[in-house]
Amino acid sequence: MPDPSAWASLPEQPILEVGITVLAFFAAVRLARWSGNNPFLNPTLIAIVLVVIVLNVTGITYTTYLRGAAFIQFLLAPTVVLLAVPLYRQTAVIRASGGLIAAALLVGLPTGILSAVGIAWALGASRTTLLSLAPKSVTTGIAVGISEAIGGVPALTAVLVISTGITGAIAGPAIQRWLRVEDDRVTGLAIGIAGHGIGTARALQISELAGAFAGLGMSLNGVLTGVLLPLAMRGL
Amino acid sequence: MLEAIARVIVWLGLGEVLMRLGLVPVPGPVTGLVLLYLDLLWHKTLPDDLGRLADRMLALFGLLFVPAGVGVVAHADVLRAEFVPILAAIIAGTVVTLLATITSLVLIRSWARRRKQPSVANLGEADLRA
Repeated sequence: MPDPSAWASLPEQPILEVGITVLAFFAAVRLARWSGNNPFLNPTLIAIVLVVIVLNVTGITYTTYLRGAAFIQFLLAPTVVLLAVPLYRQTAVIRASGGLIAAALLVGLPTGILSAVGIAWALGASRTTLLSLAPKSVTTGIAVGISEAIGGVPALTAVLVISTGITGAIAGPAIQRWLRVEDDRVTGLAIGIAGHGIGTARALQISELAGAFAGLGMSLNGVLTGVLLPLAMRGL
Repeated sequence: MLEAIARVIVWLGLGEVLMRLGLVPVPGPVTGLVLLYLDLLWHKTLPDDLGRLADRMLALFGLLFVPAGVGVVAHADVLRAEFVPILAAIIAGTVVTLLATITSLVLIRSWARRRKQPSVANLGEADLRA
């Protein structure tokens, strides 16, 4: 006879939390499309704002929400793996663009680290904050590991990484329009290097070419920073 | 479709295992991405199901970051101590990175075009126009 209390320990179905998230994103995508994909009306950012409003109005705590929405976050890992598909479809262009890709990393990787650390240092941030900021342009999983390795605060780094991604997803397409960048490889690489996965999600809306190069920029920037930054810090 | 899902999960799982064993310093999903890409290059074909799965999931990519973004709001107190330098570093730093990368690539492209030797610089201009 199984212990009936075992049933009570089963987690509740997170339909409410998943539902709020999906509906908020649906509304955000509609709004973004209605605005002609205005960079400042980024669907992810609008959905975050809508969810926060709903949580505050209904009194659902962040803890409850985040526990339920973990189901959505679980899908992030396999979806990152699926970025291999646009990459594979664009293999011919990628193979012929080695110089461009190398140049993008040569400029973007150090600029991403030094600009953040430099600005925060000039404004008087503490050493711990500077170390937590250094890997901010790198995809969350790698950034948290780097932060730990160089003496930052991993939880702070996670928050900084997400904020950076949202900034990159908004500023990237805005700069593309402002500078009239025609080459989607350039836009994609820059958004992926500066704004990792959230930027890549936005770049995929521009074109598959932009999305593939953003995924490439994100992966290469993540792996290289993960290897080089802890080594450089050890040398200092 | 099941085969496509299994293929993704297997490479992701292998990526996780390699990371936990300390054999690669990169998180599972990134290793999984590289492994699936090498797998596709090796087989030289993209099954329709896998292509469709990727298109569907990647169309929802932005949705998957919403809980993490709400988590940022929930943990906003970690930012309070040094709010101004952090905010400036995030916004100005990211904009500077984008501008530096985009402008240098645009300059390199026009340089290669002037030299009319795209293949030497390996910038892929010819392939892009084709």
